[in-house]
Amino acid sequence: MIKKIIYSFIVLLIFTGCGDSELDPALNQNKDADTGIQTAGDVESVVLGMYNRMTNYRYYGRNLIAMNEVRTDNVFPNANSGRFLTDGQFAYTASNGNATDLWTYCYRVIANANIIIAQKPDAFGTDAGKVKHMQGQAYFVRALAHFDLLKQFGQMHSGGTLGVPYVKEYKGENASPARLTVEQTKTEIIKDLNTAFDLMNANKSFDGNSSRVSTFAPKALLSRVYLYFKMWTEAKAAAKAVMDSGKFKIIEAADYVKSFEVDNAANSIFELAYSDTDNEDSNSLGFIYKGDSYGDLEVLDNVKALYETTDVRKDILGLEKGLLRNLGKYPQISGHDNVPLIRYEEVVLNYAEALFRLVDANALTELNKLTAKRGATAYTSISEDIILKERRKELVFEGFRWDDLMRTGKNIEKVDAKQVFTSTINYGDNRLALPIPQAELDANSNMVKNPGY
Amino acid sequence: MKKMIGLFVFLICIGIQIVNAQSKQITGTVTSAEDGIGMPGVSVVVKGTTVGASTDIDGKYTLQAKASDVLIFSFVGMIPQEIKVGNQTTINVVLKTESIGVDEVVVLGYTVKHKNEMTGSSVQVNAEKLENTPVVSVDQMLQGRVAGLSISGTSGTPGAVQNIRIRGVNSITAGNEPLYVVDGVPIVNSNVAVSTSGSTLSPLAALDPNNISSVTVLKDASAVAAYGARGANGVIIVTTKAGKAGKTVFDFSAVYGFANDAVDGRDVLTAAQRDELRYEAIVNSGIAKDIADAKKKLPSGWDGKTDANWGEVIKNKDAKQQQYSFSARGGNAKSAFYASLGYFKSEATVIGADFRRTSGSFSYRRDLTDKLKFTTKTNASNSIQRGLLEQSAYFSGQRTAKYFSSPDNKPYNDDGTINTNLSGNVKNPLYIAKHNVERNSLTRILNNSSILYRFTDKLKFESKLALDYYISDYKQYQNRNYGDGKETNGSGYNSSTQNFNYVFQNSVSYRWEIDEDHRLDAKVLMEYQQNNSKQLTAAGNQFATDGITNLIIAGKPTGANFLENDWKNVSYLGLFNYSFRNKYLLDATIRREGSSRFGSGERFGTFWSVGGAWNIHMEDFLMDNEIINSLKLRASYGKTGNSSIDINSYQPLLSYDANYEGLGAAYPSQYGNRALTWEKADVFDMGIDFSILNNRISGEISYFHKKTYDLLQEVPLSRTSGHNIQARNLGEMKNTGFEFMLNADIIKSKDLNWSVGFNLATVKNEVTKLAKDLNNQDIEITNSRKRVAVGEPVYAWYMRKWAGVNPDNGLAQWYVKEGSDEITTNYNAAQRQFVGGSALPKFTGGINTHFDFKGFFLDADIYFAGGHKVFEEWARYLHQGGIYNFAVFNGVSELMNRWQKPGDRTDVPKVLWDTDRRRAEVSSRFLYDGDYARLKNLTIGYTIPNSLTRQIGLSNVKVFFKGVNLLTWVKDDKLEHDPEVQASGYLELNTPPVKSYSFGINVKF
Repeated sequence: MIKKIIYSFIVLLIFTGCGDSELDPALNQNKDADTGIQTAGDVESVVLGMYNRMTNYRYYGRNLIAMNEVRTDNVFPNANSGRFLTDGQFAYTASNGNATDLWTYCYRVIANANIIIAQKPDAFGTDAGKVKHMQGQAYFVRALAHFDLLKQFGQMHSGGTLGVPYVKEYKGENASPARLTVEQTKTEIIKDLNTAFDLMNANKSFDGNSSRVSTFAPKALLSRVYLYFKMWTEAKAAAKAVMDSGKFKIIEAADYVKSFEVDNAANSIFELAYSDTDNEDSNSLGFIYKGDSYGDLEVLDNVKALYETTDVRKDILGLEKGLLRNLGKYPQISGHDNVPLIRYEEVVLNYAEALFRLVDANALTELNKLTAKRGATAYTSISEDIILKERRKELVFEGFRWDDLMRTGKNIEKVDAKQVFTSTINYGDNRLALPIPQAELDANSNMVKNPGY
Repeated sequence: MKKMIGLFVFLICIGIQIVNAQSKQITGTVTSAEDGIGMPGVSVVVKGTTVGASTDIDGKYTLQAKASDVLIFSFVGMIPQEIKVGNQTTINVVLKTESIGVDEVVVLGYTVKHKNEMTGSSVQVNAEKLENTPVVSVDQMLQGRVAGLSISGTSGTPGAVQNIRIRGVNSITAGNEPLYVVDGVPIVNSNVAVSTSGSTLSPLAALDPNNISSVTVLKDASAVAAYGARGANGVIIVTTKAGKAGKTVFDFSAVYGFANDAVDGRDVLTAAQRDELRYEAIVNSGIAKDIADAKKKLPSGWDGKTDANWGEVIKNKDAKQQQYSFSARGGNAKSAFYASLGYFKSEATVIGADFRRTSGSFSYRRDLTDKLKFTTKTNASNSIQRGLLEQSAYFSGQRTAKYFSSPDNKPYNDDGTINTNLSGNVKNPLYIAKHNVERNSLTRILNNSSILYRFTDKLKFESKLALDYYISDYKQYQNRNYGDGKETNGSGYNSSTQNFNYVFQNSVSYRWEIDEDHRLDAKVLMEYQQNNSKQLTAAGNQFATDGITNLIIAGKPTGANFLENDWKNVSYLGLFNYSFRNKYLLDATIRREGSSRFGSGERFGTFWSVGGAWNIHMEDFLMDNEIINSLKLRASYGKTGNSSIDINSYQPLLSYDANYEGLGAAYPSQYGNRALTWEKADVFDMGIDFSILNNRISGEISYFHKKTYDLLQEVPLSRTSGHNIQARNLGEMKNTGFEFMLNADIIKSKDLNWSVGFNLATVKNEVTKLAKDLNNQDIEITNSRKRVAVGEPVYAWYMRKWAGVNPDNGLAQWYVKEGSDEITTNYNAAQRQFVGGSALPKFTGGINTHFDFKGFFLDADIYFAGGHKVFEEWARYLHQGGIYNFAVFNGVSELMNRWQKPGDRTDVPKVLWDTDRRRAEVSSRFLYDGDYARLKNLTIGYTIPNSLTRQIGLSNVKVFFKGVNLLTWVKDDKLEHDPEVQASGYLELNTPPVKSYSFGINVKF
């Protein structure tokens, strides 16, 4: 009897089954993506994740802005830590880290946006309006990321016609998308921005602070996009819509420098939020613009010469250990400050320029609305040079200079021996488009590389 | 294990003393050469008769014999001895272990087999080869001893993880490390260190090598199939020491020694050389018309005197190593124990790093009844590793300073204080090593208890519960005054990990001796394993004061995290062995295994093997053969798996470890693939084992062919998907090779013995299939230095091919494309191509020799590897030949060979005053032949004669000198770094392996 019990016990031990479902793995810190979005709150998490990805140093947290500045007459890489040297030299290769990272992170942001866009608002019942507003935000961000990709990787300034793939679906059918033309990419961007405006405009009550995209942000960005593509009439209308909204104002002269430390200031249309516990730390913009740990981006002397002594914007500049520095924009070294992506002043400048291009006499008046609040002398005449100069004064170190030079067909002149590229790079040069990353070319046989790499 | 079988023999033989009235009484003691201790259970037989005795618990025997008789002393696993009685009445005998004996018992994890019962090619290394070597973990000692095993350290920092590859590389993206099994149960063995910048710490470092009785490496299908979904990379079976019957024996060893880097590595420029090249670069770039002009225009500011040798500054010369161990073992017929204490301390060869381990173990076995046997083993240890930032070129890393810090910088100020005002970004390592903390600690307890119930002689049941618990913590502190922590006024990071793993194993085994000819062994086993890991991390900065490095004083907490992970594994195993007259052997293994790492429906798989062997020497036609002692033909074939991928790999994941505006945020972190399953390997193995001339020459020849398929391929995705990769089961790869082992006892006599062993293994790796993309093209996996492509070895070197320096203008040149002689000086215009080979050695091997004369002995082990290539990872900075080297950092002394004038033939381009890195960018210029040979171990010692030691109450005293890595040979002159690099083949800036000299004493009493 006892033996029987023992035998049964042993048989039980050896053959105790453990089925498929008992081997289900625990998911302790992640969710299964296929079932993870159930409520409007879940959608919001993905929206915040989208913004969070934009804050990464490989995108707006540092690299995009730094790359844009270091290739212009605003700053040069001083080789202190070796960062942005390759960029300053225009010595990109297809395996370049910054170019690859930018490509990768833009599309990661787009992935988040597409997850949001794919939601069916009606499935969220009473939260449908809120979800629609979030979808508006997602359309905006999708357009912005594609616009950024287009400006860096598109061939419009290097003699070609290719743009970038426009991805509209997360895990869509086409896993190896080909590049659209510049024109096609532009059309998609504009379409998305209009959708974004419509969705948010219809659900305005969900507009939040400027750390999230709100109703007039798509119009503001449209004014930038239209200007970039010389669609002056449309640019004028888009900028006008923002100005007429009355939601934003030009920051006062006295508050100008301080405004870069303030979160969600009156001139902020859209900015990315950082805090003392959520920042890019040593990879932040603050860390690359100053200090001697990195501090690789040093200001070229000609920037100082831009400003009259009464211009409050000159106070952005300062000396640090004898080096000319950007101390005023992204002031905290460890990157606690919010990074503005669209300021109202840009829209005013966009408007003034659109008027100028349309030969509208009001252009000068509009331009002087800005100088009036900067302690600068009003302009008495207007030209492309004057507009570009004013844009440079206002938007210096914020990543606009490169785009301004490109869209107006300028050569990249070597204005200072400290700049690390050899000599003038003519408009149309291959180097004015970043290389399509090798990692993309290796994984996607439909991808076409940019010439010269 | 030998000793246990001895005990068994002892039990059987006891009382079979047959007295012969016509003879005289002979007495004596049989001791073991290994430890000088009396051996119980040795059989003493008068040759040609059945008259005999066996030794008692102290190794003493008594029997009756005539003067003309010859006594045979024998014991399992020992070389038998024959001694003529003559006029002696006391005959003391010392028995030696058989080096590669045909009767050797091999621990195969789930079973134990005699060597001649095996159908595969597993290799066992026993304790005497592992003891008293001043290295941290047992895996480091296998190098050169096992054919087909290639080992390389990820760093020479004591305690760092070793990369082990058995029979080649079997996987592209899943793990390539073998499975570790300790005392019969699989244990977890991934890097314990949390930091990705600091030193790694191997969990094996928790096991004191002196507590290990044997290590077996399983390579062939018939052995590894028993480990199912985890066996494809081979299995390393570690058996810890156990007690043995006999009076209590104490063993004490002390080893003390000194270590330095085995290879110095590349030299850097002196201050004068750096200055010279600086001005030459300025002139070459056309900034100045001549050197004098350059000195005027861009003066370096060098004082002409300072010439710091940072390589020397960071050295911890003659790093001290010490190892003490004390053990006791003993027991009686019913129970036995083994207990030990150990202490190991090793400084690193760079300042600021060391390793300490305190360990203890206890093993106890008791026969509770005639049928019920209880065994428990516990190993516990605490290890503390002070490491350094070494996974990349960190400005605060000690090893970075050697290459990157300018010689213009004085390490010390004139007043003797540490200079913290260095030019450039590299921090003074003297200050960092003193004030920063980079520490891993590991406390690990392994407990393994089993009950064995013997129903009958044939039928046994065993239940085993093994607990493996470790707590590891990592602490990083960066001081607030200087270096990485300065900007935030000090920064701290702590992480604490608890890992609990348990294995529950139940088995029934049955041995059925059908008749004299047929024998069948069968074992059925169920195994359940569960692992749970928790990790708590916290970070903060703003430290209020110096000298307190704990987070509690951080004014500003910057992060806190808690993570939890678990996985489960369930298996059912059947093992069957059939033997016909011990001549024909047949093995069959089947394992059904389920793993939580895979999606529903994909979790269970079946693995199997069959093996056969023919002991030809047992055939009648060889029975009377004088030359051949054993000859075996064996072959096995089977299917195993590899499931070492991250948990939750198959699921598409939304991750929440992000936030925005202080609110939790989500993002898609993993593409996912619900059909994901394990990799499979079909392994074929065949070989011949032989021993001839009284077993004085023995050897093995094996051939293996391993096809792995359904490889987990991290298929690169178009980044437009928002993901970089997706794991899929697609690729196929094969590894084939030969293995040879030969051991010869060249001289074998009472006083003088000399033996030589040699092993060599070849492996050829080839990728045979890859995933296809939409356009039906292979999705090759390419990084900036390597590519996985069909027809090439996995991760073959793939980069631009160097075409030398143009003798006319001194510019770097590369070949434009494969198969073309066209050359370009534009790096971007050159295409990447396969430049030959991979980082996997095509052959590895070892030469071992043992020599003894009276009490003196010498052991030497050489390891060699070759046919692979290694890449100098930091060349693009250190060989840049411009501002990086002459103004910002430092450069290597090879830059002195730069091109200077038209007609110069050199491999170093002309120096230029720029920051362009492309002339030193990744190309075959920095890819070197990896072939090397190294004298891994040299031991010279003396065993003080027993006659002397007995007088002072000791049974055995041995003194020895051990040298580790004393000599290194490399084939390629350009390979100036240590050739023993991590398995990836990248020569990095981490700590190289050490060369050490140590002295030791071993006392038994």
